[in-house]
Amino acid sequence: MRDRVAALSLVRGRIVLAAIFCAAAFSIVAARLVDVMVFDEGTAPSSVATAAHLLRADLVDRNGTLIARDLPVSDLYARPAAFWDTADAARELAQATGANESRLRTAFAPKRGYVLVQRGLTPDRRDAVMHFGLPGLNFEDGYRRYYPSGRIFAHAVGQVDTDDRGISGLELGLEDRLRGRHAATPIGLSLDMRVQYALEHETEEAMREFHAKAAGGIVLNVRTGEVLALASLPDYEPNSRAPQPQDSTRNRMTQDVYELGSIFKIFAFTEAVEEKTIRLDEPFEVGQPYKLGHYLIHDFERLGPVLPAAMVFAQSSNIGTAQIELRSGAAKQKPFLSKLGLLQGLRTELPEMASPLYPRHWEEVEAATIAYGHGISVNPLSFAAAAAAVINGGTLIRPTFLKRDAAQHGPRVISEETSRTMRQLLRLVVTEGTGTKADVPGYDVGGKTGTAEKAENGSYAHHLLISSFCGVFPIDDPRFLVFVMLDEPHGDKESGGFVTGGVTAAPAVGQVIARIAPLLGVRRSDTFAAAAP
Amino acid sequence: MIRVLNIAFLAVTGLVCLGLYRIAEEARIAAADLKTTETAIARENESLTVLGAEWARLTQPARIQALAQHQLDLSDRPAAELASLTQLPPKNLPLAPQGTIRNANATVPQSTLRIGSPVASGTPSARLPAATFALIHTGT
Repeated sequence: MRDRVAALSLVRGRIVLAAIFCAAAFSIVAARLVDVMVFDEGTAPSSVATAAHLLRADLVDRNGTLIARDLPVSDLYARPAAFWDTADAARELAQATGANESRLRTAFAPKRGYVLVQRGLTPDRRDAVMHFGLPGLNFEDGYRRYYPSGRIFAHAVGQVDTDDRGISGLELGLEDRLRGRHAATPIGLSLDMRVQYALEHETEEAMREFHAKAAGGIVLNVRTGEVLALASLPDYEPNSRAPQPQDSTRNRMTQDVYELGSIFKIFAFTEAVEEKTIRLDEPFEVGQPYKLGHYLIHDFERLGPVLPAAMVFAQSSNIGTAQIELRSGAAKQKPFLSKLGLLQGLRTELPEMASPLYPRHWEEVEAATIAYGHGISVNPLSFAAAAAAVINGGTLIRPTFLKRDAAQHGPRVISEETSRTMRQLLRLVVTEGTGTKADVPGYDVGGKTGTAEKAENGSYAHHLLISSFCGVFPIDDPRFLVFVMLDEPHGDKESGGFVTGGVTAAPAVGQVIARIAPLLGVRRSDTFAAAAP
Repeated sequence: MIRVLNIAFLAVTGLVCLGLYRIAEEARIAAADLKTTETAIARENESLTVLGAEWARLTQPARIQALAQHQLDLSDRPAAELASLTQLPPKNLPLAPQGTIRNANATVPQSTLRIGSPVASGTPSARLPAATFALIHTGT
């Protein structure tokens, strides 16, 4: 009996213990429930407004205008076995997608497997397909790079492959940034859509007018090094995967090197002024061809028995320039050109950048010919960068395709005084020299013409020319450099058969400056008082 | 006592179950709403992406120039004709040489100007009311 009482007491104790344990457990659950339901406000969803998924960042110009963007597209596949009438399905799908109807009809006829109907369908075309309510359709979603401005930026911006990876231009040069962690943030380029269009349009007009084989142009900010525009013609349609026969993906402003001719005299005179080997009013004999070893240096036309040094530059005399260069000599010319970056490969965000070609043995003859732009080949962007250093006060800049507002403070290569003198000489070319057709009233353009003979079969061909003009404005306080080049131009009646840089490229540069100067906020130098009759 | 406690616990358990069910259901509905909203936002963002590209295509300079040349009666103005406010003449300085002003007709012929009457087309000056013509040339 006592044992039974003791056992009952033990059981009762255990039940109470279990009840207390259960009560405690329920209390904890109840407390947590009250906490969750009454006090806890919960955590906000991580991202309500999910941004559209982008594989590559947008590219925008310096004013935020869209240049390149990934657009959502779909590839459409069909399972013909699911169609009631394959001919009807082919007609409807061709109508909605733009695919070839006869191709679809042939592909659907066996009613087997999957057939690719169309790649890269835009959302509205996809909706049009859905509208027909056909069975057996499968959309594969993806993205496709789209260039809204088409050909305008083709060479600078480049292209991507079918996997959306950059294969040329800035698409390749900025690949890491475009696909990086911050791919949702657009990349602001230094390019300006308005300036690019003006340059492209005027260059194209000049190319058509003079029946040139190719043409190109650059607009460069000489203070910041920003490339505002880069045109290379013929160009291509970056949205098309099938280039036309007349198109060219070759960027002639960076990928090709040229003997640029007299435009190179800028550097010969800069060197002479910097080293004080000449006075600008010092006379030079230019009446007879200049004999140098076995070679004779000629001028394009007879410029008179004697010209002062300043007019040697303005009238672009090879004979006078060779004499001026030889006062410094090859030993000083080579390091000077190297200091300007003309003997090294230029490094920018563009991967297509050709290295310069120059003679291994740099003696007296080479120095004289290089002074007027023969015997050395550089790409036009390298030339523009070196010319910018000459006119911007004397500091070297590195061209960039990324937006940059502050001026570059590169190494000083010439004195400010030399830079000022060179600006005066460049202005003289436009007012009294070979570049008068580049003048734009009110914008004080300075510049230099260049006409180079192309090498053919080991010698220079007189009928195959590279004509160019390098313009700078406003010359008192230069901000922008405009370079235009025509490859193998042909003269017409209006030009009197001439195809020199002053006749072909200089007017184009003048037109470009007249269009872009107001857009870029460059004020006219003349006042109303000066302009009023 | 134990029976009372058991009943109380069962009641609490039942209430908790009901409460949890209600919360779970509300959470499910909210999640579905959220998903719908997120899908709508993603679709709108996608549309904005496409529309942005479409806008860029439609506003490219080549197209605008072609449209302007085709649709508008405008011509290119040379840069020399552009000026800033600081380049404008002082207030009292005449805009045109004296001869031009002297030759301009500042008197409105009453016979040719009737308020509300249609203006005959033809030469540019004929398209303008005489009063407007006079104002331009006197620079007032």
